[in-house]
Amino acid sequence: MADVIAVLDKVSYKYPRSPGLVLRNISLEIYKGEFLGIIGPTGAGKSTLCLTLNGIVPQFYGGDFYGSVHVSGLDTVENPISKLACCVGSVFEDPETQLIATSVENEIAFPLENLKVPVDEIRRRIPRVLEMVRLSGYEKKSPAELSGGQKQRLAIAAGLAVQPSLLVLDEPTSQLDPVGAQEVFAVVRELNRQFGMTIVMCSHAAEEMAEHADRLALLAGGRLLALGTPDEIYPQVQLLEENQVRPPQVCSVFYSLRQKRLPVQNIPVRLEEGKQTLRSVLQGGRLLPPPAFPAPPAPHGTPLFSVKNLRHVYPDGTQALHGISLDIRKGEYVLIIGQNGAGKSTLVKHFLSILRPTEGSVMIDGVDTQQLKVSQLARRIGYVAQNPDNQIFNETVEKEVSFALTALGHSPQVVAERTLASLQAMGLEEVKDRHPLSLPKGERARVVIAAILAMQPEIIIFDEPTTGQDYRGARYILDISRQLHQMGKTVIVITHHLYLMPEYAQRVIVMGKGTILLDAPIRAAYHDTQTLESTFLTPPQAVLLAKELERLDGRAYPLLTPAELAGCFERQNGHLG
Amino acid sequence: MSDAPTGEKRKVAFLGGAAIDGAPIAYIVVLAAVTTALAFIPFSFALAGGGSFPLSQGIWALLGILLGPIAGAISVGIGTLIAIFVAPHTAGVPVVTLLQSILCAFAAGCMSAQAKRGGWWIIAAVLGGVGGLYYIGRAISVNGVSLGAAVLGSLIQIIGWLLYVLPTRNLFGKWVGSKNVVLLALGVILCTATSFAVAHFFATAITYTMFNWPQEVFLLLASIIPVEYMFRFIVAGVIGVGVIVGLRAIGLVKPERGLY
Repeated sequence: MADVIAVLDKVSYKYPRSPGLVLRNISLEIYKGEFLGIIGPTGAGKSTLCLTLNGIVPQFYGGDFYGSVHVSGLDTVENPISKLACCVGSVFEDPETQLIATSVENEIAFPLENLKVPVDEIRRRIPRVLEMVRLSGYEKKSPAELSGGQKQRLAIAAGLAVQPSLLVLDEPTSQLDPVGAQEVFAVVRELNRQFGMTIVMCSHAAEEMAEHADRLALLAGGRLLALGTPDEIYPQVQLLEENQVRPPQVCSVFYSLRQKRLPVQNIPVRLEEGKQTLRSVLQGGRLLPPPAFPAPPAPHGTPLFSVKNLRHVYPDGTQALHGISLDIRKGEYVLIIGQNGAGKSTLVKHFLSILRPTEGSVMIDGVDTQQLKVSQLARRIGYVAQNPDNQIFNETVEKEVSFALTALGHSPQVVAERTLASLQAMGLEEVKDRHPLSLPKGERARVVIAAILAMQPEIIIFDEPTTGQDYRGARYILDISRQLHQMGKTVIVITHHLYLMPEYAQRVIVMGKGTILLDAPIRAAYHDTQTLESTFLTPPQAVLLAKELERLDGRAYPLLTPAELAGCFERQNGHLG
Repeated sequence: MSDAPTGEKRKVAFLGGAAIDGAPIAYIVVLAAVTTALAFIPFSFALAGGGSFPLSQGIWALLGILLGPIAGAISVGIGTLIAIFVAPHTAGVPVVTLLQSILCAFAAGCMSAQAKRGGWWIIAAVLGGVGGLYYIGRAISVNGVSLGAAVLGSLIQIIGWLLYVLPTRNLFGKWVGSKNVVLLALGVILCTATSFAVAHFFATAITYTMFNWPQEVFLLLASIIPVEYMFRFIVAGVIGVGVIVGLRAIGLVKPERGLY
């Protein structure tokens, strides 16, 4: 049996102000050199579990703690956090909140200086850990100048510098674009495989967890529901769905096919295995002709937004947009995608007149936005920024939602009515008296959306609304966006989470390096995998399986979701399944 | 499956080593930095001390309220000490400003009825009381100020000191712990007023020995000091209530000796 590096024994925990237990009788052994993934919905207790490993729970937060956690033989209740920090490196969700120094090398030196490591030893360790996270050559750079992925890798390097035997990462990729997330996963995998470091990682990124983790622990409601390899856990699609956890799409596809009694012996959890299994299903099942999808409604009417030859150069000389032209019509649901730095947010900020064109024009209803004040545009356009915390400043949820209405001079009755309606629409009635920052991130985002809804804008822009959300939270927000679209609003969404969007968006604008690479209906856009990959976007697994199906069968299957893919197969008559 | 904890309940202590008198050092450092930052902002007329006073005076007591008497005094002391060098335009008489800030936070931190430290407030009250007696006594006996002018010029401090010595001290401290925002605001403002008055008396005893202002200044002070105290109330109320409501809401660990 492998060596055990950490043991949780009957761990239960309650924060000082939480109404009940956040962890409930969790017993778990973590083995030396393994990559343990922790999955579960928001509120499952994943972050708290991570914090028990470095002693921050309960030593910093206080509260009621039951049972014991031992890491490298140290009891995390009886040993100070500073001692535990030598065994457990921690990396949190938002790299911005972890970096404090003015240069990359100072950032790494900081924890070592705190632990009184001799200067010569600090100088020896810095290049070593920078090489491990592929940041060699960045020693003198300011952390502020790094990309999101680089920042998170720097945070990992700072954690590694203390030479921990266990590295704990809590949602390290949820704030990153696909490139950044890939960088972090690649580094973590390398640390695990090449250097034998034990990894504990919480993540909603199911496809990546299936690829990299040795074991998964499924948490829900503070309980450990299941523990096993990805091949044991992810095929339990029903269990995962009951607990609001999204399995990899490849699992969903073949789980549905098995439900239809098609010959799926083992549900694959990785894409390549899925492609293999697809072949056996093709042999043992009947493939239906590609379904006919109704053509998306042709755009009509005068454009609501009309962008002509838009070019934007930032004061530091960065050319963010290179002569972009596009029209968005009233009532469209538009998805804008592209890697970080592609120019998505720069483009959207021109709609709001937050940025002014260097060249070209942006018209709204035929009026140049430069002739309109930001306040005038704000009445027509609701903007939900990527980080909800930047838009929150009131003491209660209710005040936050009603703030703009009051500022715009609406009567108290109108303010009360619209506030209530918005709170109800976003399911926030029960927390209307709470401080917004006391809510989980998913709910904080909904507070901002409720405040926007109360303004009743005709255009709503969601900038990365699903970042940091679990599957349920992301779907909740996107369902709201769909309701708004059905009410006739124009909806523009920027996201990297392509797998979430097929049920919502009609039109996709793919951006790369300040230009529009593709502007097409969603099926065409998602199946132009070359263009997506050219801007470092990974198509959903269902799309890639559909492409594989096309390759095997010769017919085009413009499918987007696991359900659509599963719907293309039938049992062969007489096949026993 | 039963949800009741089956593991042994553990005694939780702050073992990080990063706490002083039950207040995490991170809090002490952050609030010291806030004190320094606010010291850059002057908000008064030039008075006998020779310069305007810093906005940070509005939060000296608040730090005692948030962190307790020891950690609060340390935090304020660090913040004010740095401010003396980086923002000398509001420092007044530096040593006096430093001592006054420390005593103010200490006095505010003692405004709770915690059994273990039930008598700590007496130290602040005595220092303030002796300072006040010396100040008024010296004004009358050495500088020939009339009793009426001396009392009028220090009326706010006298009232504040009396409210600090009386059981109202514990009442105000209790209000700070109230969930009712109005009571919380009153508690923060009155804790600020009374503890500042105590520290003010102590500090004035030193500055008066240095400057010996005449009766005319006492009469001027009678009208100016209430205005200045009002500014401090506003700063304390606005910042204090916001901070305490926020801290409660986000559930950050409460310093052991904090009043809120």
